[in-house]
Amino acid sequence: MDNSICQAYEDEIQSLEEEVKLLTEMYEDCQQESTFFSDKEVLMSIKSFQREFQGEPKGHEFPSDLKAELESLETDLSFLMKFTGIQFTSHSKKTVEKTRNRTVQKHRLSGNCHSFSFQLEFQLLEMKNKEIVSVATTNLSIIMAFGEDSDVSKFVSSTEEQGSLLTFFRSLSSYTEWYEHRRCTFLHFK
Amino acid sequence: GVFTHLEMLEVQAHEAALKQEEMEEQEEKLARLKARVQQLRLQRDELRAKVDLQQKGQLGKEGAVSDPAQPSARAVLEWKIRSVKAMLQIFCLTGISGKLTKRGVCFCISTAYEGTYLDSYYLDLLTKPEVKMHSNCIAKKYLQTDIRRFLSVLSDHLNAYVGRRYQADQLQEHFSDQIEGTLQRNSLHNLLVFNYKVSSENQTFPFNVRLLYGDLCCSLPTEVTISCT
Repeated sequence: MDNSICQAYEDEIQSLEEEVKLLTEMYEDCQQESTFFSDKEVLMSIKSFQREFQGEPKGHEFPSDLKAELESLETDLSFLMKFTGIQFTSHSKKTVEKTRNRTVQKHRLSGNCHSFSFQLEFQLLEMKNKEIVSVATTNLSIIMAFGEDSDVSKFVSSTEEQGSLLTFFRSLSSYTEWYEHRRCTFLHFK
Repeated sequence: GVFTHLEMLEVQAHEAALKQEEMEEQEEKLARLKARVQQLRLQRDELRAKVDLQQKGQLGKEGAVSDPAQPSARAVLEWKIRSVKAMLQIFCLTGISGKLTKRGVCFCISTAYEGTYLDSYYLDLLTKPEVKMHSNCIAKKYLQTDIRRFLSVLSDHLNAYVGRRYQADQLQEHFSDQIEGTLQRNSLHNLLVFNYKVSSENQTFPFNVRLLYGDLCCSLPTEVTISCT
């Protein structure tokens, strides 16, 4: 009789621990998604953070660790933007659904690739099945400023229909690169 | 007589002590578990309340609900780190992303078929003293002169290959009742041969299909042969 009570408690503990973990993630996601700090505020924070811990480092994270982590991430990001030609100017996301096996986020992204600017909205679905995580994008909506070019608008509508974010970026990247080559070549002849 | 009796009493006492110990351990364990459950329930309820407040706060356009005061410098930094990480994840979705390493760059080529993301391929490039790769690969001729073109060609090939493979898997999975046996495919997944049957009235018609994908950068076939066997 005792064993079954023990088991019932242990099962409840496991389910409560999962719930606590999920709720913590939801809380942190919401905090993250609803706040915004400008670059200036971030810089000021770095300076004040370092001043605070001038003497003894408190806790397990030295301020220099966090600063180094941020610098490394920002270096990677600026490398990618320069290398691929894709510059993101703003990004916002909102977690719409979060359960143990499924997360749905709404993303809004704007940027440009050389002289072509775009605005995207899409939903990102992450499903967890044991250890395997699968990712898919749905509800893709693309706005591009090159309305006059019928090729571009045909491309945009077919990519939207297929829902392929990846194809959009790969094709945009090649198209704009060749566009630039053509533009430079024509300028040369002027 | 007396001695055996004493021994028996000793054994009985020992067993009783053991039983007592066991019972006490069980009780302690139950008490611990019960306390843990209550602690977790409390934590869970507090978190639920916090999250609800947050959701309501969203409507009022307020930011941090539980910290009306100025956020700490550490919190701002952590926010920024999460924000940059999120942007790097978006790059993964575009198909070509990467990270700088001590000796060069490690690129990540992601593949997708329509909206579903499939395999990711990693490519370690050493850029000092010259651009080299750790292993053999297609499109190597572009590697020295134009890394971007190289990655683009590689991405096209990989996406097409993964797309063909994904379609074949989906076909096998969703039409298994109509397909006879398994799909025959080669390693590049550019040749697919299978038999399937179509039922009409009381007859079934066996068909054999051969799909040839002549363009390795394309996930649609260039040649289709259907015959009734």
